[in-house]
Amino acid sequence: MANEAEDTIRKLSTYKGVVGVVVVNGEGIPIKTTLDNHISVQYAGLLTALVDKAKTVVRDLDPSNDLTFLRIRSKKSEVMVAPDKEFILIVVQNPVE
Amino acid sequence: MSDRKAELERKKAKLRAIREDKDRRRREKEQKDAEEALQRASATSSLDSRRDIDEMLSSLGVAPVKDVLSSLSSMTSLSPPQTASPDASLPHTDKASLQLQGGPKKQPQELQVVFVQSTDIPPKETVIYTKQTQTTTSGVTELRDGCSSNASPLAGYMEDWWRPRKDEYNLNPGLEWEDEFTVLTFDGDVARQGDDEEAAFHGKLPPGILPHGLPTVKEVQPAVTDAPVEKKDEEKEKKAVRELSADEKQTIMLSAEFQRFMSRAGRVIERALAESVDIYTDYTGGGDGENALYSKGDDKSAARLSLVRTFEEERWSRGRCVTCLDWSTFHPELVLASYYNSDDAPHDPDGVCLVWNTKFKKTTPEDIFHCQSAVMSATFARFHPNLILGGTYSGQIVLWDNRVQKRTPVQRTPLSSVAHTHPVYCLSVIGSQNAHNLISVSTDGRLCSWSLDMLSQPQETLELQHRQAKPVAVTCMDCPQTMLNNFVLGSEDGNVYTGCLYGQRAGVTECVEAHAGPLTGVSCHAAAGPVDLAHLYLTCSVDWSVKLWSLKESKPLYSFEDNGDYLVDVRWSPAHPALFAAADAASRLDLWNLNRDTEVPIASVQAEGGAAFSRVSWSPAGSLVTAGDDRGKISVYELAEQVWSPRHDEWNKLVYTLQELRNNQADDDAALSPPPSLSSIASIASNPLR
Repeated sequence: MANEAEDTIRKLSTYKGVVGVVVVNGEGIPIKTTLDNHISVQYAGLLTALVDKAKTVVRDLDPSNDLTFLRIRSKKSEVMVAPDKEFILIVVQNPVE
Repeated sequence: MSDRKAELERKKAKLRAIREDKDRRRREKEQKDAEEALQRASATSSLDSRRDIDEMLSSLGVAPVKDVLSSLSSMTSLSPPQTASPDASLPHTDKASLQLQGGPKKQPQELQVVFVQSTDIPPKETVIYTKQTQTTTSGVTELRDGCSSNASPLAGYMEDWWRPRKDEYNLNPGLEWEDEFTVLTFDGDVARQGDDEEAAFHGKLPPGILPHGLPTVKEVQPAVTDAPVEKKDEEKEKKAVRELSADEKQTIMLSAEFQRFMSRAGRVIERALAESVDIYTDYTGGGDGENALYSKGDDKSAARLSLVRTFEEERWSRGRCVTCLDWSTFHPELVLASYYNSDDAPHDPDGVCLVWNTKFKKTTPEDIFHCQSAVMSATFARFHPNLILGGTYSGQIVLWDNRVQKRTPVQRTPLSSVAHTHPVYCLSVIGSQNAHNLISVSTDGRLCSWSLDMLSQPQETLELQHRQAKPVAVTCMDCPQTMLNNFVLGSEDGNVYTGCLYGQRAGVTECVEAHAGPLTGVSCHAAAGPVDLAHLYLTCSVDWSVKLWSLKESKPLYSFEDNGDYLVDVRWSPAHPALFAAADAASRLDLWNLNRDTEVPIASVQAEGGAAFSRVSWSPAGSLVTAGDDRGKISVYELAEQVWSPRHDEWNKLVYTLQELRNNQADDDAALSPPPSLSSIASIASNPLR
């Protein structure tokens, strides 16, 4: 069964334009990543905080609402974050023209 | 009209009077102010700096001040009562000026040195208690006294308390003397929290007097001491986990929650990745995007049938023949495809079922299911949104559930003589929400009716036999839309059998000799409309032809002979009553519209690759046609709007068309058979072309 998750991660990382995939657990520690360790840790730390903040924003505006997807588009890349109760899946992509 | 005019005049006069009044008052006030100012000026100068000025002036050779003043006072027409100005704060000065003035007017009096009563009121020391932590906030300036009132409104008030300030703005009328002061502060305090204006105003007030009359409650600013501590904790954590991370990571990854999370999140991310819409396209720069779209649109409208997508999966669908296609009723964008076994990959499971999503552009299937035996037919459980049924080569019927993370079936029917022992080629769920059954037919002529709750044994079995002895080798089956109890079967011997599912006459009732070879597809009319056409059905077979039948007649209504290879499947459109699709083994997909032309298809497309089609299906809306081939590729074709969407009169037109076809048929028959009587000659004569 572990293969499926690994397969999914591998599949995602071979998509066109994807720079890296990081799976982060609830404490902000990367569990599985296709990037360098220090970059992964950086992404994990920064994005965990951001996901928490975003969740707070959504919840404060409407307590019955919840954050499902976060997408940060920057000049050079795009970061897609799919949060969950315990884990966070982060995918960094270079936008394809 | 005149009285209105008079009114207006009166009003104008009033306004003028008011204005004049105002002006007068203003002038008076100005005069008074000027006089007062003058008074004050004369008075102040006389008191404080009189002596200095006198000295200075006398040293310079100018007349001392008092002479000047006397001349001034003689000029201004001030009467003694007016000097008693309402300014109660300057009685002392007035007295002095009076004295001064009185001097030159009357006789030069004896001037005495008056001892000025100067009272020195020390500032009232207020003891301030602040309800906040006595920690130093970041960026605080040093305080002169020990009072750490940083955040209170009177913060900084005590600063420079020793420096006397004048009550310039007359904020405190309680001060009697003109030189009395309150402890004021300059507002330059960096550490002051709150907006600057408010604080400045606070600064000028005497202690104890709050601006709004009520004590304001300001939020206590938290001590900003945590930042460095937090970072240290994080680093410690990271260090700690990194040490024992490999094992932990592995355990986490093997946990079920992680798997579920990955499948969910992975799906979402895949869809997001596949959408290649660039929201930042700049149309001013290129303008290519829009043009391209427009040109594409034109092409599409020109082409009736155009290939939109292909579904194929490297691992699971390559080299496998598509055996069945079905669409979901709950989510019309989901299409189910079942596959035969693959010769390339003997170790992979024989039967594979994939669920594809036509809405998103991602190239991987939504769900992957497999089972040990090749899946010959598959269907979504029409009334259960999560269940997928498959009929296998071994005769088992398997049930998959997409809520569970398993790829293997959650339920299976037993391999016994009670159920099927031959490949199950036909599977369909018929009935209504509350009363539905699963009908499965295998090639040995057995029809089983199952309840989805209990798959351990069929509810009913029916031996499909024609004329008591011959079991029907069923290859395809369909049920008419409105006559739910009936079914139409196509068999290997080229015959079409119709019968009833339940009731007294359950079983095969009629046999029609249809084709010269095994039937590969049967399709009952699907587009419901104002006219009931459910008695129509199409059959296709390996004899290169598609035939149109009616349940009421035993002879075909029409035969479509346009193909040059085995016909593999034929399907009515669910939206258009006269439209159907047929696919043949030469990988040609034809679209026929009976109302337009019965001789040739209205649209035809040839798939590349040389693979033969094996299955055709329509999307529930009728706008997409999918064709599966024997290499495991599913091609999705889109139809132009005017092709697939029917007009209101299509049903009636079809009735006419059918009538015409019948007439032609009758004429053909009449022409073929030798004319025995005059009536037939007459009929021939009336149709000279025939």
